[in-house]
Amino acid sequence: MPRAKPRSTRRGRGLLRVLVLTIAGVGFFGGFVAAGYFLSLDRSVRARFEGRRFEVPSRVFSTPSILYPGLDWKLVDLRGTLARLGFREAGQAGRLAPGEYAWGASRARIHLQAFEHPTRSEPARDVVLRLDGSLIQEIRELPSGREIGAVLLEPEPIGAFYGANREQRELVKLEQLPPHLVGAILAVEDQRFEEHRGIDLRRIAGALLANLRAGAVRQGGSTVTQQLVKNFFLTPERTLRRKFQEAAMALVVEARYDKHEILEAYLNEIYLGQRGPTAIHGVGEAAHVFFGKSARELDVAESALLAAVIQSPNGLSPYRESERAVRRRNLVLEMMEQQGRLDPEVRARAQAQPLRLAAVTPDPGDARYFLDLLRRQLSDVYDASVLETDGLRIYSTLDRRAQRLAAIALREGIADLEKRYPRLHSEQPARALQGCLVALRPQTGELLALVGGRDYATSQFDRCTQARRQTGSAFKPFAYAAALEPFRGTPAITLANLLDDSPLEISTPSGPWRPENYDKRSHGMVTVRQAIENSLNVATARLARDVGSRRIADLARRAGIQSPLPIVPSLALGVASVAPIEIARAYATFASGGIRPELQSIEDLIDADGRTLDRRKLRFERVIDAGTAYLVTSLLEGVADRGTASALRAGGLRGPIAAKTGTTDREQDLWLVGYTPELVVVVWIGFDEPRSLKIPSSLGALPIWRRFVQDMTGGQIRGRFPKPANVEVIEIDPVTRAVALSGCPERQSEYFLAGTAPTSFCGDGSSRVPLPGGGLAERPPDREDDSSGEFFRWLRRQL
Amino acid sequence: MSLLHPLLAWLVGIALLMGCAGRASILSPRPEPLRLHEIAGEGDAARRASQRLVLQGLASDAEGQTRLGRRSYERALQVDANNPFAYLALARQAVEGGDGESALEYLEQAELLLGAEDLRSPRVEPHLAGLRGAALLARGDTRGAGELLAQASELAPSVWDDGQLSAEELR
Repeated sequence: MPRAKPRSTRRGRGLLRVLVLTIAGVGFFGGFVAAGYFLSLDRSVRARFEGRRFEVPSRVFSTPSILYPGLDWKLVDLRGTLARLGFREAGQAGRLAPGEYAWGASRARIHLQAFEHPTRSEPARDVVLRLDGSLIQEIRELPSGREIGAVLLEPEPIGAFYGANREQRELVKLEQLPPHLVGAILAVEDQRFEEHRGIDLRRIAGALLANLRAGAVRQGGSTVTQQLVKNFFLTPERTLRRKFQEAAMALVVEARYDKHEILEAYLNEIYLGQRGPTAIHGVGEAAHVFFGKSARELDVAESALLAAVIQSPNGLSPYRESERAVRRRNLVLEMMEQQGRLDPEVRARAQAQPLRLAAVTPDPGDARYFLDLLRRQLSDVYDASVLETDGLRIYSTLDRRAQRLAAIALREGIADLEKRYPRLHSEQPARALQGCLVALRPQTGELLALVGGRDYATSQFDRCTQARRQTGSAFKPFAYAAALEPFRGTPAITLANLLDDSPLEISTPSGPWRPENYDKRSHGMVTVRQAIENSLNVATARLARDVGSRRIADLARRAGIQSPLPIVPSLALGVASVAPIEIARAYATFASGGIRPELQSIEDLIDADGRTLDRRKLRFERVIDAGTAYLVTSLLEGVADRGTASALRAGGLRGPIAAKTGTTDREQDLWLVGYTPELVVVVWIGFDEPRSLKIPSSLGALPIWRRFVQDMTGGQIRGRFPKPANVEVIEIDPVTRAVALSGCPERQSEYFLAGTAPTSFCGDGSSRVPLPGGGLAERPPDREDDSSGEFFRWLRRQL
Repeated sequence: MSLLHPLLAWLVGIALLMGCAGRASILSPRPEPLRLHEIAGEGDAARRASQRLVLQGLASDAEGQTRLGRRSYERALQVDANNPFAYLALARQAVEGGDGESALEYLEQAELLLGAEDLRSPRVEPHLAGLRGAALLARGDTRGAGELLAQASELAPSVWDDGQLSAEELR
């Protein structure tokens, strides 16, 4: 009979069973919890890795600068452009790498960087410019020595559509990067990256030891995977819990993804410093910011510097802490050599290399109104989130130099006005004097510059595109165009006609309207040129009454005005409120011979994969007869040469200018709208609130227009206004306005649409000049009896 | 839409007959139609650079790289917005692409600027007439097209006898 087990043994076994069960239960429960924990981490990891890994803001670029023989390199600020593009100045001699230039007294050498674009890529090119003073005499490509007619610089970045984090990055592919860049980063950040599974125990132990010896945290033990996890998912706090989480996630990431994917993500995510309010992330972006080149073009020393900066992007900034950055760079190079990633000779050469950084060209912010306009235009097609995260490349029509000069001209012009007229100054930003400047290329409608206010920081309201203001006399050219344009085969007036500027009263539903001239005087009979050159309101109102406001409104709409135009007698005097950009487009129609261009602000739009999403197409439409447009241009040339805008010439501005001033009632809005054969510029000055400036536009807006065009052209405006074939030049007697034949004592050349010249002749005794439209204008009193009258009477009889 | 419109051969044939039937001009020497490389060195610095870009564009067009060609023409206008030959090249490209509407718009600009600069010579006329005719044809206006293509063919048979102006022929 078996002996009964002692009671204590039974109890011991029971306890053991309980213990085992407890451990098993805890183990099971712990495993369950751990599995759940890891599953949850896995979900987070997958969500991030398999969704959109990075937010890449869309970038906006200017139109490229074009260099060609004969160009004034000082005028176009070539060296400034190179600096803004991140080019580094090197010594005169020796080999230049892409992105470097050397400047001498009579030659400049530029190694242009490759520019990638789906349809218009440009290869890297080494070119030499022969200089003669400020002019480029010749461009040759090296080493072939082949002469080149024109060279394009890459488009300048002018801004980006950031998300809330203001992170700027350019995504790179691992296989595109030079091995020494990857080697430098792994040498210093994670030399056993290929071996570990997310956590490197040897590195942790080494770091622990180093920190114990130093008595402070000096070295991190995190692998590249842990750093990526920290940046992707965690906060920067230094707690054990966070470290544990980081390690666990690193294990999950390594289990899920291969080393290639992890390293590529790290290289695109790593924080490498700050440029103003923008955080620089990834080696692609950092290569552009630090060296003005693409990451694939980085040499060994530059790669080592990027790797060096990772430890403390701001403390080791090569711009602020260059010595520390170089020391750390050299340490990285030594580590690369020790780890067999670099030959000793290469290491030595790289260590001897001085720091050559791209110039820091802080964003002046002068294109922000333009960027807002683009965002508004693009938001019709793309969600804000797409613009902020999808990394689109938007190539705009903005001319970087024109934009900068426009911003300076407007800002300093307004400040100058406040200095000359202190009553215009206000300490309150909301009551400050404001203005806007917009510049277009008339033939193509490309928007070259847009400054919507004096200071974007204090007011983001764009007065060029969002504000509608009365135009005053800047509207008059539409009235004259309507009068000069053939209507049912005949124009209402020609440039031979006289207009009546005597007092006028027009009945309107709201009572009689009596227009007045700016000088409050009447000028009797005046020529069409005198009427517009002196911006006479009464003569223009009478003309508009005869032509009809409907025809004037119709012509203005055809030219490009889209705002509502009231059909009232005062329309011709600028009672309608329109946006400056509309006026710019409508004047562009005159400038381009009656062909209205479609406004263009974007050249093309490229997605992150290099596909073209959208590209502009130049569009035009003939909306005004070429001859009529030319007559208006000729009238406006007179305004710039002799009339209310003649101060444009005061600064020595030479060449063809057509312009019109505009000052509204109570001098609340001051305009100068003008064009050259290649540029339409509108300047508006006023307050946001209804308030008089008590100065005319010739003192307010004109100096700003003049300065901008002077700075753009260097004072010599190129080209001429094209005279179409249906305009003929005929000499007329300036007094009788009749055709001047030989013997007529005074004569002046005048333009006429073919077949509309006067039918009377100088000295024929006629007291009236017939109007082509059938009307008659009173002839002014003869100044003197023409001694050759007999001859003309005889000639007339013969004819 | 290709320029090898079924009507094209018929139109050009009729046009040639019309041209040969009653015009004495075929017996007089005709100026060679303009090729743009001949005037690449004319004008001021901006015009010369602009012309070079137009020639680059035509070379791209000739290689079938029409987008690159178009970009060159637009750059040519960036340098010299009043270069009529850039518009002429754009018109030629638009015709080739079957976009008659755009071609007519470009031609309008080209004609205005050529006239303004006294560049509307007998050497340019065949191109203007031919491109306008081809543009009208691309737009479906066969009646207007026939006469213009005939005129072009008569003025410059070496280029326009097939009713087309290739990039190489304009270059």
